[in-house]
Amino acid sequence: MKTGKERQAKLHVLQVAAVLLILLFVLAVYIIYLQSIAADDLAHHPLNQRSAQTEAAIQRGTLLDAKGRVLAQSFAPGQRSYPMGAAMAPVTGYVGERIGSAGMEAQANQDLLGRTESLTRLGPIAQLFEADRGNDVKLTIDADVQQAAYDAFDGRRGAVVVLDAATGAVLAMVSCPSYHPETVESDWDRLRQEEAGPLLNRALYGMYPPGSTIKPLIADIALEQGVTDENEVFDCNGKLDVGGGQTIRESHGEVHGRVHLSEAIAESCNVTFGALAMRLGGKKLNDGFTRFGFSREIKGDFTGTAAHLPDFTNLSQGDLAQIGIGQSTLLVSPMEMALLAAAFANHGVVMEPYLIASVVTPGGVTVREGQPKRWFEATTPERARIIDGYMEQVVQKGTGTVARVSGVRVTGKTGTAENAQGEDHAWFIGSAKVGGRTVAFAIIVENSGGGGIEAAPIARKIILSME
Amino acid sequence: MKQHVSATRLSWGLLALGFLLLIFGLFVLALHPTAGQKTARALVLTAYLPWMAAVVVFAFLLQAVLLRSHIAPWLLPLSLFFANVGLVEIARLKPALFIPQLRWLLIGMAAFLLVLRFRRFIVALSSYQYLLGILCLILLALPLVFGTEIGGSRNWIVFGPVQVQPSEFGKIVLVLFLSAYLADHEEVLTAVKHRFFLFQLPPLRFIAPLLCIWGMAILLFVVAKDLGSALLFFGIAVFMTYMATGSRSYVLIAMLIFGVAAALSYTFFGHVRVRFDIWLHPWADPNGMGYQVVQSLFAFGSGGVWGTGFAHGHPGLIPEVHTDFIFAAIAEELGLIGSLTLLLGYAAFFLVGIRIALACETMDRILLAGGTSVVFLLQAFIIMAGVTKFLPLTGVTLPFVSYGGSSMVSGFLLLGLLAVLSKQKGRLVS
Repeated sequence: MKTGKERQAKLHVLQVAAVLLILLFVLAVYIIYLQSIAADDLAHHPLNQRSAQTEAAIQRGTLLDAKGRVLAQSFAPGQRSYPMGAAMAPVTGYVGERIGSAGMEAQANQDLLGRTESLTRLGPIAQLFEADRGNDVKLTIDADVQQAAYDAFDGRRGAVVVLDAATGAVLAMVSCPSYHPETVESDWDRLRQEEAGPLLNRALYGMYPPGSTIKPLIADIALEQGVTDENEVFDCNGKLDVGGGQTIRESHGEVHGRVHLSEAIAESCNVTFGALAMRLGGKKLNDGFTRFGFSREIKGDFTGTAAHLPDFTNLSQGDLAQIGIGQSTLLVSPMEMALLAAAFANHGVVMEPYLIASVVTPGGVTVREGQPKRWFEATTPERARIIDGYMEQVVQKGTGTVARVSGVRVTGKTGTAENAQGEDHAWFIGSAKVGGRTVAFAIIVENSGGGGIEAAPIARKIILSME
Repeated sequence: MKQHVSATRLSWGLLALGFLLLIFGLFVLALHPTAGQKTARALVLTAYLPWMAAVVVFAFLLQAVLLRSHIAPWLLPLSLFFANVGLVEIARLKPALFIPQLRWLLIGMAAFLLVLRFRRFIVALSSYQYLLGILCLILLALPLVFGTEIGGSRNWIVFGPVQVQPSEFGKIVLVLFLSAYLADHEEVLTAVKHRFFLFQLPPLRFIAPLLCIWGMAILLFVVAKDLGSALLFFGIAVFMTYMATGSRSYVLIAMLIFGVAAALSYTFFGHVRVRFDIWLHPWADPNGMGYQVVQSLFAFGSGGVWGTGFAHGHPGLIPEVHTDFIFAAIAEELGLIGSLTLLLGYAAFFLVGIRIALACETMDRILLAGGTSVVFLLQAFIIMAGVTKFLPLTGVTLPFVSYGGSSMVSGFLLLGLLAVLSKQKGRLVS
């Protein structure tokens, strides 16, 4: 009887133990959920200050240019100096506690902190790799070219992109006006309100009508589609009737007379290109713009917005003619125009633009290296050669002679883009064989006037800085 | 016999492992570039080394005594493993409290030794069961009357420089009382006299003491705002009653009463409502009312599977991280690996206790061993569930790990009871 009672109690003890262990098991499952499935959301929650505190304790690595010159450097956590200041700001960007980060400071943040995302939560293993000093990031930028381009603006607004056409390495990326990265946090409110928009990186995010710089592209589409050939003679009487009582005119009332396609590009003949665009129609223009990557967004070491293309299926004859001379609702960034120039300079192949040449640990070990990557084929080598030749004529004897540099083969195309903001934007895009490589560039000077007069001299200064 | 020898050897190993963990952790802290400097300033080697040496020597002597007296070999090594985890976290989180915690550990082990030494006195205690019951009620009522509110709960008594949590000792008396009372009254409690709806109940006078305990737990919950302790007491009473009687009616009634009380206090008491609302919607006010639990959840997330590494996380962002929320700090820096290890450790410790209960021969001993085991596991469960927002309950310590004198001493007193039960044969009351 008595032993039976105790046996019963022991059975109940076991039942209670089972219930409690089940409760504990459910809790264990919940903790597993918290620390695996829900972990990322919690770790990256905006209110979670842990990553910010970790970053604040690390001395950021140095940003260097292609020749090893310092662009951004820290001597202690939380301090950062930018020796090239505002001239390099579109490349370096900034980093601040309150304002976040931009430019390479944002794009290469993990490298500069010496962290690899996949290692950050590996506990003791992560500690082995974690240093109190981040990695150095060497960029493809040439500080001399950047400085020369920045100085050439002399207070005017605009942007420059210079690329190595054969590799896609970005050599310079200028945006004016700019800001000083060291004081951006204290000047934040003023900078944000400034009408000129100094915080905007115009080289990547400025959207402008391309004006006549789009003509090499129109010529390529026209040749590809066979709506013209190199021998056709166009007759320019200074104006083109596009129907509906509208006309397109040459700038300054010029009359080019009888011209071939090469002369039409050299003299930037609006009548010829308006007519070619109308012959092509929306569908073929759309295919051409797509072929040259205008609907692609740039990803990788930095991001760039895709061009704003008009709705090609629904264009009047007048709109088509306007597209032919780079007006209408077509808007592009300087980076995209530099890639267009690079396509003709590099046998029709566009390389993916990149900025990071290498990432090196404080101990001198190279973690990774930027590799040239073929992005897409914009046009055939044959047509690229033809258009490149036309663009050489622009600099030799056309609208872009100001960019001529003796002993250097320079190609180009000027643009004078009408816009709603005021005076015309001056454009110059092209390429140069200088310093043993082929560089492509795009230059825009906002509201300054003609491309051949205002933008082409900047191209000349850039080329001279590379000699 | 061979198996016994290897278990003994393993228990020595576990004991040594705990201290190795502590020493290794202190080395890591000393080498760490930033956290280490902070720790080094507050923790002078020559200051804590004598205390640590005393703890190590005492622990090994104690284990030798236990093994010679044929007391369950795993009890002390497991408890000291938890204590070492706690010590190393306290050295990292609040270096100034490291030596006090070492001191509390020494006092705890001394209390443990006293329980072993005076086991006959403790045996005699259980014959004064109603006295125990009244003492239990007094201990629980003390903070309600004289209590001081610390950390949002009114469960502290302050005597000059000393702060005591009477509820920590109340739970020991409760387990002693319930085991004695239930063992004596098991027959009347199971004899059905009244049928009340689905429930089968004995006369009211037999269940009155149980109702008193339940009522007290609910008062704790409402007046002292001590939600965790309330559930702990309530849970102990319910589980022990079930162990003695096997009656599901008691469990159902208890849960019904608790549910009604919870619903009523939610309706009538602002602070209870606030606690529940924080639990249900901590993200509604993540920088205010929900701050602590939100920071705790961030700690679990940032820790992930492998943890940030010891001394490489930021558990300092959580208020009260060295006491109630120490589990969150462990989860952040040692990851899921660390949190599950600790959780499994408590399960193992619980099973050691349950094995002792199953080996006992008399009713009161079975209930005492079972009840003591339940106290440890339930308390660990409540706080681990609380800091993970699994339940809306906090306000209890993680046994042996959290910083705190009352908690450490009461933990070792309960451990002493388990040790005594694993040794003695025969009834407690002869």
